[in-house]
Order: sequence, then structure tokens, then C-alpha cells
Amino acid sequence: MANYFNTLPLREKLNQLGVCDFMDSSEFLDGVNALKGKKLVIVGCGAQGLNQGLNLRDSGLDVSYTLRAEAIEGKRDSWKNATENNFKVGTYEELIPTADVVINLTPDKQHTAVVSAIMPLMKEGATLSYSHGFNIVEEGTQIRKDLTVIMVAPKCPGSEVRAEYVRGFGVPTLIAVHPENDPQGKGLAQAKAYAVGTGGHKAGVLKSSFVAEVKSDLMGEQTILCGLLQTGSILSFDKMVEKGIDAGYASKLVQYGVEVITEALKQGGITAMMDRLSNVAKIKAFEISEELKDIMRPLFQKHQDDIMSGEFSRIMMEDWANGDKNLLAWRAETGETAFEKTPAGDVKIGEQEYFDNYTLMVAFVRAGVELAFETMVQAGIKPESAYYESLHETPLIANTIARKKLFEMNRVISDTAEYGCYLFDQACKPLLADFMKKVDTDLVGKNFNEGKDGGVDNRTLIAVNEAIRTHQVEQIGATLRKAMTAMKAIKTA
Amino acid sequence: MQPLVNIQNLNLKYQQKQVLVDLNWTIQHGENWQLGGVSGSGKTSLAKIIARKQTAIGDVKINFNTASELPAEVLFVESWYQFKNVEGVANFYYQQRYTSQQAKNSLTVHAELVSYGKENNLHLDQVEPILEALNFSTFASSQLIELSSGEHKKLQLVKALWLKPQLLIIDQPYTGLDVASRKSLNILLDKAAAAGVQLILICNDTALPTSINRFAEIKDGKLVAVDSFERSSHTENRLKEIPDFLKQSPLYSSQNIVKMVDVNISYGEKQVLKNINWEVKAGEKWLLQGHNGSGKSTLLSLINGDHPQSYANELYLFGNKRGSGESIWDIKKRIGLISPEFHWYFDASATVWQSIASGFYDSVGLFQQLPYSKAAQVDELIEYFALTESKNELLNHLPLGKQRMVLLARTIIKNPELLILDEPCQGLDQQQTQHFNQLVDALCANGMTVIYVGHFESQLPKSLTHKLVLSQGEAIENTKAYTIQKELA
Repeated sequence: MANYFNTLPLREKLNQLGVCDFMDSSEFLDGVNALKGKKLVIVGCGAQGLNQGLNLRDSGLDVSYTLRAEAIEGKRDSWKNATENNFKVGTYEELIPTADVVINLTPDKQHTAVVSAIMPLMKEGATLSYSHGFNIVEEGTQIRKDLTVIMVAPKCPGSEVRAEYVRGFGVPTLIAVHPENDPQGKGLAQAKAYAVGTGGHKAGVLKSSFVAEVKSDLMGEQTILCGLLQTGSILSFDKMVEKGIDAGYASKLVQYGVEVITEALKQGGITAMMDRLSNVAKIKAFEISEELKDIMRPLFQKHQDDIMSGEFSRIMMEDWANGDKNLLAWRAETGETAFEKTPAGDVKIGEQEYFDNYTLMVAFVRAGVELAFETMVQAGIKPESAYYESLHETPLIANTIARKKLFEMNRVISDTAEYGCYLFDQACKPLLADFMKKVDTDLVGKNFNEGKDGGVDNRTLIAVNEAIRTHQVEQIGATLRKAMTAMKAIKTA
Repeated sequence: MQPLVNIQNLNLKYQQKQVLVDLNWTIQHGENWQLGGVSGSGKTSLAKIIARKQTAIGDVKINFNTASELPAEVLFVESWYQFKNVEGVANFYYQQRYTSQQAKNSLTVHAELVSYGKENNLHLDQVEPILEALNFSTFASSQLIELSSGEHKKLQLVKALWLKPQLLIIDQPYTGLDVASRKSLNILLDKAAAAGVQLILICNDTALPTSINRFAEIKDGKLVAVDSFERSSHTENRLKEIPDFLKQSPLYSSQNIVKMVDVNISYGEKQVLKNINWEVKAGEKWLLQGHNGSGKSTLLSLINGDHPQSYANELYLFGNKRGSGESIWDIKKRIGLISPEFHWYFDASATVWQSIASGFYDSVGLFQQLPYSKAAQVDELIEYFALTESKNELLNHLPLGKQRMVLLARTIIKNPELLILDEPCQGLDQQQTQHFNQLVDALCANGMTVIYVGHFESQLPKSLTHKLVLSQGEAIENTKAYTIQKELA
């Protein structure tokens, strides 16, 4: 199978990359009607599978699950999840031929196997839905021409998808129709109805394409979302310990700091996050984040280039074929870092203290978000897409670090994201070695304002504020955040 | 001997309001107090100050008995239970406990007790009799997320009685407990008192442990000793005229509000509801009773569209078979619901106004702009409930009783066909309870259908006419033409 994106002429590449429209709520007035009375069969019953299915059923749709025969016979967790919540469960042979819509919610890595098993069983003219486009775009899987192929991707973990639905809201969702597979022209109507069924239309729906979703998703998760948060956390912890800060304190500051800091990001973008610092600290954070951007720019560009050319997926699929040799080795290595092994100390850290004593992370986050955003936009991805895959998702990932450090982050994200995260981390740490030599405890571990008189030059401050506020990620962010009316505050420890 | 607690000139300001004013309180050894009075008078704040969980201006001295074997500690049991998942965050949602998920989220009761015991050097064999007495032993393997609010209350009490601190302050000790459990709790508290634990119970109840020998309330920021709370402030308040928009009779699309045919609910081996057959017709007013764990919440979750297993049962709501293409929002729009759990899970970041307005959309928190007419109704109801002053405050900044009033207003704002009131008056003072029940009576007079859960006959609205009693998941009484008056006589 050939990489789908690479088979396209340049004009079509640009055309598909450059799709991302925030849909008006009037687009969803038809509710779930396009799926009403249709048989929806979900493949897989993990966190996304179960929670999306619960939502779709509670929206009045007919939902059942199909699992591999071994999972049913072995009464595995996926089988229990489905049957104990009173869903009908059957094998592929039993249920796929009856389905009007087959919703594939298995892990990326299984897609080729799953799709090649179910495709021959699907009835003429049915719909196949994905929540991630990797299989279509990177692996180049060809879907039978009579079938419609859509994507509905809630931009949150499965548990959030459910929690937000039952409180009467939803999570931001991305939808797409694969242009090679829309023979009856019904794809978009069905994708919209699906988004209504999971509650996504209340939080905001972006119309994207399979290509734009994959290329931006991979870039975001590898660089700012997982990669840089991991690198920044480990370097910060090691620096504090090296400089004699109590290890328990350092561990707590790093584990929860990134969540508290990015909560401000979620509410009001880079501007709000930087405004939480004193003027002196803000100027310093600005200066070092500019320096970080210069150092890391080539690495961000390399990741984007490899994603666009298909090189990234080629080497990752090589690793799949190799029994996940690299993935497992890197995972073990992450589990052995000092940060991971030092429990958070029993110390109280105030909300403001997380900003004042962890200015370095503020700088990392600004540098990472802006770089990822800039690099994606330069590569032809629309700013809306780039915003979601950088700034928007950062607090969600930070939340997983607060739960159980990097182990938890890497457990929650997909294997693809995890692989890309390690790849970035391996390259980024040596790149920052010289930079980190200059970093002292005023930037990480102690209050930056301590012993400083707090005075700043007006003109410098004005210039810094101007640079932060007029960045494109801030402008598009303000528009999109306004459209997503409500945001839940994360409870901090 | 020095008094156990000696408070001099205590002052506390909350925002612009002076809550405690030069308050003095001396608690001698051997004294056990009931602290009562109206909601919002500062009882909980005072308790938190004594337990050093809140700061205030003034002098608070605690003189522990150094000869005692009991821990020299003040334990404050909050009226609100807290629990976290295994990853240390409290990010749960209301309907979660009804959904079966293989990824286990929270600790079991047993594991929680083991860790509590370890933290406080307590022996596990000493907790057994307390668990027995509160009828809680069977919950050892239950996950915390699976417990009902009454069961969470029991877990809090079990821990406190196990620890036996020298001073034990319990805020609302009886909320959510059934009649039998309240009696057992009083016996346990008397035993603890006999062993040297001194008690402060914050509540307005009258069936207290016999060891309670002092009574006080907070009036105008000062502590005032009273003889007791035996029906002390029994003033018959006339109900204000209810807002016009609540006077309209609901338009019923079907006379059959609820119909259950042999309904069974179980989790693995554990059966929670057994062969329930129950019909609620339009305009009927039902009392639902049963001890803690009898299945009341589960029964109500079926009606409110919150239970995944409703799809596998023969259940009709508002004339439609459940699972025939309706969404849970089609069901919820006809229902106004309040329960202790619903309150617990409510959106902490919503203001009073937003909380009430969200009742129009059945959402937890407000995500939509209200049209003018609806916004006006919210204002009218806020005025009616005397909440105007707090309308822009965050819900969780209000005292618990007031929070409950807000959610009660939310429950009735859309004048629904069916009101589900699951212990609606928990945490309210006598006057608030009476006022709310009068309001329910007024709504009933307009033809609304009601299902009301309450443990105490004296605290029920007068209009209830039917009664369903559950015991261990079975309906043991299903009576029409039930009247409270008859029961009281």
C-alpha cells in the first residue's frame, strides 16, 4: 500500500491540507436524523469505543459492538464493558453485514488488520467511520468504492467525551469525509449527525480532511504536546536536583506545574499565561523562549518535513514490524528517569507559586506552542487546525502528567503519539544541553522575583507584550475560544 | 482543669459580611454540644476555625487532656464527603457509578479503610463492630464511586468513630441516613462519648444521642446558649404567592408517566433491583422510601435516563418504551430532578443565576444564552427564593443550605411534568424545609406529578397520596391513597 498523500498531485495535496472550517451551530439543526434508525456497529470497546457508544445510544441511536472472536470467548475487558452496559455484542461475521455504519475505534496499529477483516463483510453502500486518518493517509489503505468513509474525532480522552455529554455539553470534535469514498454524497450529513450524537456540536465542530487531520495531529503530538512537555519536565527536574532543591518539592512542582500553568493558557492563550508572571519574569520568560525557539526551530521543521514526506510513518511502521523494539526501549527508559521515580513531596505549593517558581516551563510552553503553530502553518495547514493541535490540546495533555507523571501521559496517548514523543525527546535533550547549562534556580525551583526590585523598562515591556499579543496563534485562538462557549476549570491538587 | 475549648472574641468576615462578631465559647470537659440554628449563620465556619481548617481573628485555645489515651486531635467531619480516584483526582460525574467500566477508577471501601488505618495507627479489628453497627460491612469490596450519598456519609462516620479524637465535630451527622442508621449512630456516639470523646454536632435534629447535654445557636454572629431545639422555632410561615409561570398545569402528552414491568438491575452478582412493577400516572404524588442501599437512587436513575441498564428492561417513560429512539434529553426535558448526589456533582464554577438557568436545558452548568422571557423567569424565581443578593456568587461559595435552595429553584424553573425530589431538604433548616414543602404542595395543586424521597414523616409535603417502599431492591409496599395525615395519626 502506498502512502495516500504522496500519490496526490501537489495541487490536491495543498487542497486537502488546507481544509479546516469552524462550523456554525445552524449546521446541526437536523440533529441525529441522518443516522436515526440506522444500525451503528462499533468495532472495539475500550475507552473511546465504550464512551462514544454510550453517548450515541443515549442520543436515541441503535448501537451495538463487534469484537474479535477471541475477545468474546475470553470474556475480555472490552466484552465486559459492552455486555455489562447492555449492548448487543457479536463477532464480525454476525454484526458487520447488518451494519449501516461501522465505527472503527480500535488502536491505530490494528487498523490495517481490522479494516481488511471487516471490509469484505460490509454491506453494499454502507459507511466506515474512523477517529483518526493514519490508516487511510499514511498506510494508504484502499476502501471499497461503494463504501462511504468518514472521520469523527472528539479531541478528548474517552472518559471526558462521556462526562461532558452527560452534563449537557460535549467536547470539540473534528469531522471529515474522505474524497475518494463518498459515492452517495451522504458522508458529511452522517458525520454531522454522529457529532451531534456524541454531543460534540455543543462544544464546536471543525470540518477538516483526513490529510489535514493526520499531518497536523502527528506534528502536534510529537512536538509541543507530548515531546516538549516530556523533555521540559525531565530537564527541569534534573536541574533542580542538581542545584540542591529538595527532590520531593521538585517532583511536585514539575508534576502539577505544567497543569496549573497551561490552565491559564486554556482560558486566555499565551497572553494569559505570560500575564500571570511579574513584569520582570515575563520579560525574562520572553527572552529565553525566543532563544528556545531559535534552538529548536530546525528540530520542529525536521519533524514536520518527515511527517509530510511520510518518512516518519515509514520508520514507525518499521518499528511495528520489529516488535516495537524502539518504542518499548524508550518507554522503559522514561520509566527509569529520576523525575518518574521521585514521589511528589508532601508540600503545599500555591497556585501563583507554580508560575513564579517554574518560569522555565512557561518559557518552554510559549516556545513550543508558537513553534508548532508556526511550523504547521508554514507547511500549509490552516491556522484553525494548527491551533487545535498545539495550544488547545496542551492543557489536556498537561492534565495527564498531573495525574501520574509521564508514565500516565504516555499510557493515555496513542502508541503513535508515544512513539513520536520519544523520537522528539531523544533529539531535543542533547540540543538543549548548552542552554540548560546557563539555567539557574531563579528560573526553576525558586521564586524568580526574589531579590529583584521588580522594575522594568517601559519600552521593553510594551514591545514584549506586543510581540506576545499579536502572534497569529493568539488571534485565531481568541476567535475559536469565544466560539467554544464553556470551558471547565481543572481542579488542582 | 482547663476547658477543652476556650474561644475569646472571635471575628470572621466573609466578603463584606461580618459572620462572627466577638464570639465567645467555652467547652468544659464532659460537655457535648449541639450547635443549631439557621442556615448561613456561621456554624460550619466556626467548626472549621476550631479544627484549624480556617483562620479568623481572635483567640482559640484547645487544651487536650494529656492523661487521655485518645488522640489529642480535633476531627472535623465535613457535611460533604470527598473521594479521589486511584490517580488522586476527583474528576467524577453524576451518572458514572451506573456505568460498568473495566478500568477501575476508585479505591474499594476496604482499601480506603486500610490506608486510613495505616495513616492513623488504628487496628482493623476495631473498625469491624462499627461497620456492623451501621450495617456497612457488606460494602467492603465496593468501589468508592459506587457508593450512594448515604453510604459515603456512613464511611465518613465510620472513620471518625474509629479514630476517636478528643474532640469530634460532625457537620450534619444525619444527612442521608435512614431511620435505623440514625439510631445506631446515636448509640455509637454515646459509646464514644463514654470513652472520652467530646462531641459537637452541627444540626437541627431533635433525636440526638443522650450524651448531648448543651445546646447553642449562632445569632448575629454570637453564640447563644439555648435549652434545646425541641420544636423551638415553630413559626407557621405563610407561603408567598408562587410566580405565575409556575401556576400553569403541565401539558401531559400521556397519562402514563412511568411504567416498569419486572425491572431487574444487577452489577455482576449483586442484584440492586428485583422484579419491580410500578406505575406512576399523571398527577400522582408518590412518596418513595427505603433504607440506605435499598435501591431508591437506582430506581430514580432509570426514570431520569441516567442508567445504561434501562435499555435492557421493560420500561415506559411518558408513554414511550425506553430505547425506542428517544434521547435522554427528550426524557430529561420533562423532569425536574434533585438529589444529594446531583448536588455533589454539580458544576462548581457556575454562579447562582447560571445554576438556576441551566434547569431550562437540563445541563450541569449553563452553556447557552437565555431568551429574554426565560431570563426574566430566572430573576423572578431568584427573587421568590430570596436569593437576589447572591445571584452572581459562585454556587460553591454559599453555605450548603443555600446551595440546596438554588438547586431546588433549578429543579422547578421549567415547570416540568414530573418532579423527582430525592431528599430535597437535606441540609436545610426547619424553616427552609417547611417553606419548600409548602411550595411543593402549591405545585402539586396545579397537577404536577411528584416522586418524593424522604425518611421522616414530619418533614414531608402534605400532598403525597401514594407510597412505594423498597427493601433490598424489592418493592415491599405499593400503596395508593396514602396520606401523611393518616400516617401521623
